[in-house]
Amino acid sequence: MSAGRRRRSSSIIYMEPAETIEQRSDQEAIPNLNASWVNAKGAWGIHFVIIVVLKIFYDSLPGVSQETSWTLTNISYTVGSYIMFHHVRGIPFEFNAGAYDNLNMWEQMDNGDQYTPAKKFLLAVPILLFLLSTHYTHYDNAHFTINILATLAVVIPKLPWTHRLRIGLFEDSD
Amino acid sequence: MDLADTMKAVNHTFQDVSYQFKRLPGSSILLRYIKNSYQNDPIRSIVELCLLLFAVRYLLAPRYSTKQKPVDLTEREIDELVEEWTPEPLVSPLTELEALEEERRPIITGPTGPKVKLLNSGRTVTNMASMNYYNLINNDLVKERAVQILRNYGVGACGPPNFYGTQDVHMDTEKEIARFLGVPAVIVYAQSFSTISSVIPAFSKRGDIIVADRACNFAIQRGIQISRSIIRWYNHNDMEDLERVLAQVQREQKRKPLTRRFIVTEGLFETTGTISDLPKLVELKLKYKYRLILDETHSFGILGRTGRGLTEHQNVDPSNVEMLVGSLAHTLCAGGGFCAGSNEVVEHQRISSGSYVFSAALPAMLSVAAAECLKLIEGNPDLLLTLRDYTKTMRSQLERSEHIIVTSAPENPRILFTVKGYEHDERVMAEVVDEALTAGVLISRAKKVADSSKEWQYGPEVVMVTPSVGHTKKDLEAAGSVIRKAVGKVMSRRK
Repeated sequence: MSAGRRRRSSSIIYMEPAETIEQRSDQEAIPNLNASWVNAKGAWGIHFVIIVVLKIFYDSLPGVSQETSWTLTNISYTVGSYIMFHHVRGIPFEFNAGAYDNLNMWEQMDNGDQYTPAKKFLLAVPILLFLLSTHYTHYDNAHFTINILATLAVVIPKLPWTHRLRIGLFEDSD
Repeated sequence: MDLADTMKAVNHTFQDVSYQFKRLPGSSILLRYIKNSYQNDPIRSIVELCLLLFAVRYLLAPRYSTKQKPVDLTEREIDELVEEWTPEPLVSPLTELEALEEERRPIITGPTGPKVKLLNSGRTVTNMASMNYYNLINNDLVKERAVQILRNYGVGACGPPNFYGTQDVHMDTEKEIARFLGVPAVIVYAQSFSTISSVIPAFSKRGDIIVADRACNFAIQRGIQISRSIIRWYNHNDMEDLERVLAQVQREQKRKPLTRRFIVTEGLFETTGTISDLPKLVELKLKYKYRLILDETHSFGILGRTGRGLTEHQNVDPSNVEMLVGSLAHTLCAGGGFCAGSNEVVEHQRISSGSYVFSAALPAMLSVAAAECLKLIEGNPDLLLTLRDYTKTMRSQLERSEHIIVTSAPENPRILFTVKGYEHDERVMAEVVDEALTAGVLISRAKKVADSSKEWQYGPEVVMVTPSVGHTKKDLEAAGSVIRKAVGKVMSRRK
């Protein structure tokens, strides 16, 4: 029956294959509430709120320089959004009989369409955050490298060519 | 002079451009930003510029879909396809066997019971085709209670249990069954068949693993199919094969995300009549960390000293079976089914089991009848003893024929037999049933759904004979002789 989470290829890099018709009909049976909220106004605004709150929090810690504070804000935001949009696959609660088990949230968004307004917004936020942080600080090379890598880590998985791409470094192949 | 003039012109142009630039709104902010960001490191500035340009490019790109686009067909191609299409008949024509069966189908007139009257011939025949083991169907006490409930509650709840369908009698029946089995909680379903096929998908989802016995009945197979889980079969009642499958799954699933895992099997198998080895199942389940879904549709009320089913029969605590599914429609002669388990298991089903959520609740009358029948079985241990005695008698009657192989377990009152040498010949079984009916004994075939995948057609073709405590010993002996003769007659025709 269904292959579930079984890998069909033994290579390190592989593409998640297209769903079976059975799985597709399960996906399309009801709107995917797990991914549709990203188009809401509040869902856009909350990014700025979270970033400001993080910045205030790190500033309030004693002995933290502006550089460290910005770096921590940047890293917290990118790590959080990476886990949420690119690491967790499927839907965390019971829904659609597991029809989205093989896709992460970025791939579930807007039915897999690319360059949608929500995707553009979510890509712009970490870039903007990085540019802002370089403006307000005097990063040394180490700080600069850490920040740019953190930003790239969330920007690259958002690109169209990484759609359904899996890099199986830590996965078993059978 | 030329040079000086040119220099002057260039300078002038620069001044002009810079003046115009300063007049642009926000230009001072941009300049300040670039000055600040530059920080004596042109490489960083280039990196930032690239990032910015990339973002702008991304923001300007047009939207597109990654889904496969439907094929564009021209008007002519559509016409051709329509022309080529020949619709399959909605109902396929009857096969020879089906036509024969349809022609000779016995129709009962009047109430059902150990003896029934046939509509077409007007004869009274011995009924050994229904699972009315304890003859509860003719119990006056149950009838009286049912009529009383019918007058008080009406014919049905007319709503799913979660939408005004639950009545006090349903909760009483659930408590009654839970008390009888000695489990924390029970949920009552409206149909026996859809109980197991709804319980399985309520727990097992896509990506989860089900290990099931190859001989599992049709309802279980439907449930497994609906659940979309990964399915592994093991050979019928072969515990070594089960262990092999479990070990193989363990190897395959190593270092993979943890999934829910279930072993699905039956107490008394519907297709073969055999009995499961529950202690061994529980041992393997604990060893490999599985949950056990046990279908006791045919064993509830039958097996065990007091009729509590397979768990009592093999001295296993019911708490070892996570989901114990039983029927109120077979032995109890009422209607509906139930699933027993822990409070969590039961409460989960109340909002996520398809058949419970979407179909109307069990009629109050049937619910009460089931509870009454349960009390009767509990209060009359003689019933069980008589049935066991009758089962033994009937089996020995059948086994006297050299052509008959009884496949069901000795404890099973739903006696299944096949004809030696014709184990897979449906036609022979149909003829035996026919001959027996002509001689005044109503028995039936255990039918299977024809399907191309071999897991769905397990074991030999069988004829079902069910004694009831409503019969007399004499009835059984007479029926036994009739069936033996019927088989003999069919066999002599084959030679």
